[in-house]
Amino acid sequence: MITPKISPKISPKISMDMKMAWRNVWRNPRRTWLTISAICFACMVLIFMLSFQFGSYETMINSSVKINTGHLQIQAKGYFDKKSMRRVIENPDQIKEVISGIDHVEAFTVRANTFSLVSSKYRTYGAMVVGIDPVHEAAVSTLKQLTRVGEFLPNTQEYGGADMVLIGSLLARNLKVGVGDELTILGQGKDGSVAAAILTVCGIYESGIDEFDRNTLHIPIKTFQSIYSMGDAVHEIIINVISLRDVSMVKAQIINSLKNIPQGEALVVMDWDELVPGLTQAIRIDLTMGIIFWFLLVVVVAFSILNTFLMAIFERTREFGVMMAIGTTPKRLVKLLLYESNFMTIVGVGLGIIIGCGITMVFQIYGIDMSGSSEILKQYGMSGRIYPRLSIITAFAGPVLVWLVTVGVALYPAMRIKGLRPIEAMTHI
Amino acid sequence: MPIVEVNGVDKVYQQGDIEIHALKDIHLSIAPGSFAAIAGPSGSGKTTLLNMIGGLDLPDHGDVIVDGCHFSEMNQSQLAELRLNRIGFVFQSYNLIPVLSAVENVEYVMLLQGVEKVERRERAMAMLDEVGLSEKYHNRPSELSGGQQQRVAVARAIVSNPAIVLADEPTANLDSKTGEGLLKIMAAMNEKRNVTFIFSTHDKMVMDYAHRLVLLRDGMIADDEFK
Amino acid sequence: MELLLAWRNIWRNPRRTVIIMIAVIIGIWTMIALTSLMRGMVNDMFENGISTLTGDIKLYASGYHNDPSIEYRIDDPNSVMSEIAKALPYDSKYAARVRVNAIASNARHSIGLTLVGIDPDKEAGVSFIGNGVVGGRMISEDDNNAIVIGQALLEKFETRIGHKLILMSQDSQNEIASRAFKIVGVYRAKLQSTEKQYVFASKHSAQKMLGIGNGVSEISIVINDHEKYEQTAQNIRAILKNSDIEVYTWKDLLPMLKAYMEIFDGFVVLWYLVVFVAMAFGIVNTMLMAVFERMREFGLLKALGMKPSLILRSVLIESGIILIMGVIAGNLLAFGSVMMVAATGIDLSALASGFEYVGMSSAIYPEILLNDVLLANVVVLVLGLAVSTYPAVKASRITPVEAMAHT
Repeated sequence: MITPKISPKISPKISMDMKMAWRNVWRNPRRTWLTISAICFACMVLIFMLSFQFGSYETMINSSVKINTGHLQIQAKGYFDKKSMRRVIENPDQIKEVISGIDHVEAFTVRANTFSLVSSKYRTYGAMVVGIDPVHEAAVSTLKQLTRVGEFLPNTQEYGGADMVLIGSLLARNLKVGVGDELTILGQGKDGSVAAAILTVCGIYESGIDEFDRNTLHIPIKTFQSIYSMGDAVHEIIINVISLRDVSMVKAQIINSLKNIPQGEALVVMDWDELVPGLTQAIRIDLTMGIIFWFLLVVVVAFSILNTFLMAIFERTREFGVMMAIGTTPKRLVKLLLYESNFMTIVGVGLGIIIGCGITMVFQIYGIDMSGSSEILKQYGMSGRIYPRLSIITAFAGPVLVWLVTVGVALYPAMRIKGLRPIEAMTHI
Repeated sequence: MPIVEVNGVDKVYQQGDIEIHALKDIHLSIAPGSFAAIAGPSGSGKTTLLNMIGGLDLPDHGDVIVDGCHFSEMNQSQLAELRLNRIGFVFQSYNLIPVLSAVENVEYVMLLQGVEKVERRERAMAMLDEVGLSEKYHNRPSELSGGQQQRVAVARAIVSNPAIVLADEPTANLDSKTGEGLLKIMAAMNEKRNVTFIFSTHDKMVMDYAHRLVLLRDGMIADDEFK
Repeated sequence: MELLLAWRNIWRNPRRTVIIMIAVIIGIWTMIALTSLMRGMVNDMFENGISTLTGDIKLYASGYHNDPSIEYRIDDPNSVMSEIAKALPYDSKYAARVRVNAIASNARHSIGLTLVGIDPDKEAGVSFIGNGVVGGRMISEDDNNAIVIGQALLEKFETRIGHKLILMSQDSQNEIASRAFKIVGVYRAKLQSTEKQYVFASKHSAQKMLGIGNGVSEISIVINDHEKYEQTAQNIRAILKNSDIEVYTWKDLLPMLKAYMEIFDGFVVLWYLVVFVAMAFGIVNTMLMAVFERMREFGLLKALGMKPSLILRSVLIESGIILIMGVIAGNLLAFGSVMMVAATGIDLSALASGFEYVGMSSAIYPEILLNDVLLANVVVLVLGLAVSTYPAVKASRITPVEAMAHT
């Protein structure tokens, strides 16, 4: 085993310089505390706001994913762009089998979609009819929890109820229907035939996303397949993974396994990022704006404390002169000064991290009530509360930025020492 | 061979629009082991001359040679190196490092020289014992009297084993009794270690203790007396 | 005299003064410039919202808002308009429309969308469709079976100008009315979702298809000075109080936009305070340094009989001068930088679909609001002076003896 040997000449040197720097930092405690507070404040704001931003992104992604798209989808090639009814997954069972063998998959289900005319006694609207598997859907999406009136679709295999329909709240309002009322749907089957059925409303869901609530209704997949002459085919297989981080890994595994089955050729695997392309970009915009804002804040803090660093040096010019006279090299003085600014910054950053993480943690547990602005949050798929999300990145990215900028700022006064001549320094008043 | 040689040194300062001719063609050589005082009224150039000998300031013309080193041939860091190892300084207003205790102040020079920690501490304490500050190792400068601070400064100047110690008005801020005590310490050091001491002063007592008295007036040597 | 003294005092250490001034300048600049950038984004959302067939004020037959069906309509829009004409600012514009949910289909596709019957001449300046046609031609008033559709819809339907589209909707008798329309033009909107949502036909052809005579679904009013919408809506309501017409403002119709604007107002205040606090540490520290350096001076002044309140005042004046100069420079810088980018706008089309997602177009034109500028300046000046009282009080409490002992 190799033990790193620290030269006995070097280590005590460092400790002496550090000791001096530390004591110098505390020669003017009030000034030091004000400076540390500024640094600490900046770190706190950055940690909290970044955690808040990341927390809201996660809420956005998860709710968007949970209500509708899922983390991953398998579709026939070209289905995503054209939504053509004919582009189907012919043999979903075979693929379900493949997916069940993959780790980190939390749940999966199948869906089929088509546009149809929906009529009640009073009104006719066009809407998206979605065929779902009532049993597995509940594990993948929040549709079941979002059912506010009536019941979710029953497990058709055990309890029957193949003619039941679950409908969005705005669509129900527009059609003037409630639970127990009948609806007629009229569309076109996969083979081009007329598809029509009479269904009974079993429940009404409200996701808060107007477009979803106004334009969709859900029926059991088996019913869908028979109405629209789909046979066993479906349009989408929706897969949820255990954590957002696993998405790309699971995606790769599915792509791999699809290569080994005959229909795999005709299929594609898409992740949530591809399924909702605006979402990542919206997040990126918000994050970019955030970074600009927080960076400028740090610049303001930097100038705010630059005076402290400068003063600490100009007040002590005479002292530096003496130190140089007795043989201290300018390089060593610069080092001493950089120790000093680093100590101040580290204390500030350290306190900022502790307090900032503490505050963030409290809000992470209790959430921040945003009910005053609920409408907009609904659009982004957030509920009334946002939970900041503290992570290694949010806890340290801001403080590291503060540390870099502060120490960068401290370089300027420290470098001025280099040009100092002992005789001038000693006659400095 | 002299330990300090000043050869035809000229120095002109610019102060605003006025030129001050601080030193005019000074020639001076000081033998090893001297206890010499440079005296003269304020403005006569004695501090400037001392700074020249210490390598803190460089002449416009002429050369200073200390312990065989020609300043005119050296750069700033070589000068710093020379000051560190061959020259000790004692200043009028003590000028200890305020955040270091007495013993740490003495240690600091050895730290710069790269002396090992244990040895450093031992030598610093021995040195403080020698100047009579055994009780005050761990006091900060602000907790010491003027005389005590100046004794720490002397200890600091001596501990690095310099060839010469330059003391700029060391007694100016002290009462005469304390000043005399300090002088006695320095005289003892001079005798015991054969370290050259050069003072700038207008204190009569310092002049009395000195073995050689160089009198400056208007930047020129007016008198040079060996006692 | 006092001012002159303060002026000289702050320049005793120019570097220090300049540094703290830079902190104030950057602070003010970030406050104003970044806020105007965000205002520009919000404003864009607002303009988009207003011009996407909303307007500042909208009139509906009562019942329509909750159940947007052709059953509820304004039967005689012209007489309504002449009735309320006196309540409108002289430069307002309006457009009456038939609006109905419909199903569009061709041989390959069908989709639910909104059919809007418009007076083509009236829409300019009221909604985006007035100048939105980019291919083919705009429908004319007496076109019978012509429609203009969005670029995105055209692509989705894999069709082109000259081809037909079948539109189906419920007519006034609750029967399904179905009619083939010829695509005569294509429009572009800022958002793809808008392009997929609306198809435009002439008002009278929509009226004929639905069998509603001269009736319309809505009258949309745009006021040149958007600020006046609330007052104007009040006046219109007063005139129409005995009719069965309801008056809505954009705030009722676009609650999301309203909520977003409120969140944003809150964020502005928060941002100002955060930036200010960051500055405040520097202001306090700098003024403290200036005060402690001049301890002896203050002690002397006191010994000469100067009242503490005068010392307090002189320190406050000094910090006031620094703040005012910083604020002025910061404002100029902010206005300058905003002017520079305001002309061309900031093009962020790289993130276009993200902007689409939040309902904005991808070029941002920053906009400075007087209120924001005032708030930023007030925050910095008032709170800046407030925190300066700490060093000022320190200075005023110095006793001559302490001061002389201070080195």
